[in-house]
Amino acid sequence: MTDGDYDYLIKLLALGDSGVGKTTFLYRYTDRIFNPKFITTVGIDFREKRVVYNNTGPNGSPGKTFKVHLQLWDTAGQERFRSLTTAFFRDAMGFLLMFDLTSQQSFLNVRNWMSQLQANAYCENPDIVLIGNKADLSDQREVNERQAKDLADKYGIPYFETSAATGQNVEKTVDMLLDLIMKRMEQCVDKTQVSETVNGAASGKLDPVKPEEKKCAC
Amino acid sequence: MSQGSELVNLSFLSETERELILQVLQRDEELRKAEEKRIRRLKNELLDIRRKGAKRGSQRYGERTCARCQQSLGRLGPRANTCRNCNHLVCKDCRLVSTSGNWKCNVCIKEADLKKTTGDWFYDQRVNRFANRLGSDLVRMSLRRRPLGYKRETIGQALLQQGQLNDPKTTSRFGQRGSREQSKGVSGGTIEPKDQRSDTESMEQMSLNSYKSDSKRSTPVNSRRNSLEKANTTQGGRRNLGPSGANVGTLTVPFHSKDHFSDSEGELRFGSRSAGSADENEAIFQRNAKRILIPSDYSKSVMDLRPEEPENEGISIGDRSKSVPGLNAEMEEEEEDIDSLVAIHRMTTARSSLRSGASTSTLGSMMSIYSEAGDFGNVIVTGDIIFTLKYDHKTQSLNIHIKECRNLAYGDDAKRRSNPYVKAYLLPDKSRQGKRKTTIKRNTINPLYNEVLKYGITESSLATRTLQLSVWHHDRFGRNIFLGEVELPLDSWNFESQAEECLLLHPKGTADIDSLSLFKGELVVSLKYIPPSKAPGPADRRKRKSKGEEAGELQVWIKEAKKLTAVKQGGTSDSFVKGYLLPMRNKATKRKTPVVKKTLNPHYNHTFMYNSVKPEDLQHVCLELTVWDREPLASNDFLGGVRLGIGNGLSNGESVDWMDSVGEEVSLWQKMRQFPGSWAEGTLPLRTTMAKPKP
Repeated sequence: MTDGDYDYLIKLLALGDSGVGKTTFLYRYTDRIFNPKFITTVGIDFREKRVVYNNTGPNGSPGKTFKVHLQLWDTAGQERFRSLTTAFFRDAMGFLLMFDLTSQQSFLNVRNWMSQLQANAYCENPDIVLIGNKADLSDQREVNERQAKDLADKYGIPYFETSAATGQNVEKTVDMLLDLIMKRMEQCVDKTQVSETVNGAASGKLDPVKPEEKKCAC
Repeated sequence: MSQGSELVNLSFLSETERELILQVLQRDEELRKAEEKRIRRLKNELLDIRRKGAKRGSQRYGERTCARCQQSLGRLGPRANTCRNCNHLVCKDCRLVSTSGNWKCNVCIKEADLKKTTGDWFYDQRVNRFANRLGSDLVRMSLRRRPLGYKRETIGQALLQQGQLNDPKTTSRFGQRGSREQSKGVSGGTIEPKDQRSDTESMEQMSLNSYKSDSKRSTPVNSRRNSLEKANTTQGGRRNLGPSGANVGTLTVPFHSKDHFSDSEGELRFGSRSAGSADENEAIFQRNAKRILIPSDYSKSVMDLRPEEPENEGISIGDRSKSVPGLNAEMEEEEEDIDSLVAIHRMTTARSSLRSGASTSTLGSMMSIYSEAGDFGNVIVTGDIIFTLKYDHKTQSLNIHIKECRNLAYGDDAKRRSNPYVKAYLLPDKSRQGKRKTTIKRNTINPLYNEVLKYGITESSLATRTLQLSVWHHDRFGRNIFLGEVELPLDSWNFESQAEECLLLHPKGTADIDSLSLFKGELVVSLKYIPPSKAPGPADRRKRKSKGEEAGELQVWIKEAKKLTAVKQGGTSDSFVKGYLLPMRNKATKRKTPVVKKTLNPHYNHTFMYNSVKPEDLQHVCLELTVWDREPLASNDFLGGVRLGIGNGLSNGESVDWMDSVGEEVSLWQKMRQFPGSWAEGTLPLRTTMAKPKP
């Protein structure tokens, strides 16, 4: 799997309270399998998946396709691993911030996770997707969609309701995050490249560039 | 360690938890290794493009040519426009529309692509944020072991090291190494090797100069890989036969020993310093083995030695890009550097770069470069050279510690013998004084030298040099045989890093010869052409001017030279300028200035006169001016030269190789023709060789 035969290595990280379904979500995503058993994650773990990313052109025209290798970090939601898990935030390019639609508390904690992210991610406003998981358990639902959507809007991030059990929106969510990252990447490079060229030109010791002027001074 | 623990305190973990996490981290390590390998491959491609970038020089001259494909654009070429990124004039075919909707030239697109595919966009940002928080001994310690991972250091990596450090043995081993202070970034220009840094740059440095320094640093790493594609075909065969690797464990640096044992199969190594690299190399070979070159390619790598460049550039790129599908399209068309290194600009001054030592130079002393060489055409270069570079500020000297070579080719293929030695030059100085040699090791293709070659040179002039290390087979009875070489432009070298370099040896005369075209200095000359009849009355003019004026007179005022290369001890040269008015290369047109001693900026202030030059002759003659270091008891050393003419390759209707003026050389000549009777002055970059440039 890790043969390096891909165009991009994109590292995502799932975070959220313990038991919201991060591990099962990722498991569903990578293996299309639902494992209802709750096994608490020890500290950190990761899964991998190779996907094909379709880069749409500037005006929506179909662009190139790339092979993307996803490294999906899974983190322990438990408090006692917090120092370890937050340390991993900095290595991720995008985040799956997850709460449990059947747990009001896990939703309330989203704010805490957000501030953790802002403090520990690679930049202050990384790409995040808010995920309300366990959407299949509609009878136990404690968080309504409006609430969650509002919160996501406040942060300016997309919101999806997913179910690792049914697979609902699981792929769509990750695709969305990947898309955000790829777009950011483009912006980043566009921006830095121009400034870099400026720097490069300024620092370039190009004294021999001026012969034209010298010549005319004779 | 204290800071490391501060980073993440894992003491709360139970033994089993620790185990589990370590396993995860190990898996991460594997993924990271594959990623590093991929990145090196990508940066290698970058380097390849950079090598071709010497052509960028044409941009500086007034020609309207596409900066990428060198196609002439004509006077008003509506097809051309400047790339908004690099401001080079680029023709329509050399552009690509980027995802943002704007077009950029293919080089800039490539540059951006690499930033994305290598993940640099991310790491560069992250570094800005965590520069200060990650400056821990732990990180640096792990960095030292994984030199290529510096910017990409992940927490998983750091923790993994930490986990390993829990082992008391490892702790003490690393404990001895002590902590080292962080020092300023490479961008400062001051190089202070006092704290013996490894080649891994600190996070702080990266934040200052992340992308550039990164690519610079990776240059040597990559450069050795460029010939890999070509070389490994033979290596594949030789590896099995060669007894190499048996002695690899004997290196002196203790923390390397582990790695050295690990590649005892005699694999060719690149990233010799890191624990992971041995396997990586194997993996690289496995990959390369899949696309073994067809036999005809053997001859192509040998053909590199010729002045004309064979097309194996394209071949090797094509090969590599097979494994990088996204890059295919651009790679094959790449013409230029995608790295805006100053070095390139400096190099471009002379387009007619040194093709090879055995070029068809008309200047005999150029041949002395490889005088003892004789023959370097028959060996297919393999193997690598391991060395460290250090600049000693106190003694103002460059110390090249040649450690060893590995897996060299057999100089004497029949007897399967090599008696290798290593020779160093600080190009462009190829004088005898500038030569350093190791001892000759008998009958081995894995010679251990552990010798220091020393150059007394100021730091500033070091930046204008390229270190050339070549390996030769010493043949007692016959000629020495070239076994390979590496070249390192020192302007981008990080002397603070004192880690071992393990570079793959190249055949001579590959494309990177272009990068040899270093700055040789400049020549300031003024030209005046006095036509036979300037005034309306030809008779009047004749009266006024003296005899020999009938056909016109060419006056060449050699004013001065600047920044010549030092070839004499003490960092000076005793130079003079010699002139010929081609096609006559004989006494009739030979002119010389007096020798100006002990300066690199000589004022000659001397005028050459050529009589009987008709106005129409100016289209057919070429003024060749060469600068030489006077060496009384031996042949003079070539310091550079120019050719002034119209540069169309023709003289009197015949194709000639010396009518090859470019850029400023042409424009100065034309200016002189345009304004007869008045001085046309120009400052001309000196060519590194007078050999025929690439068509």
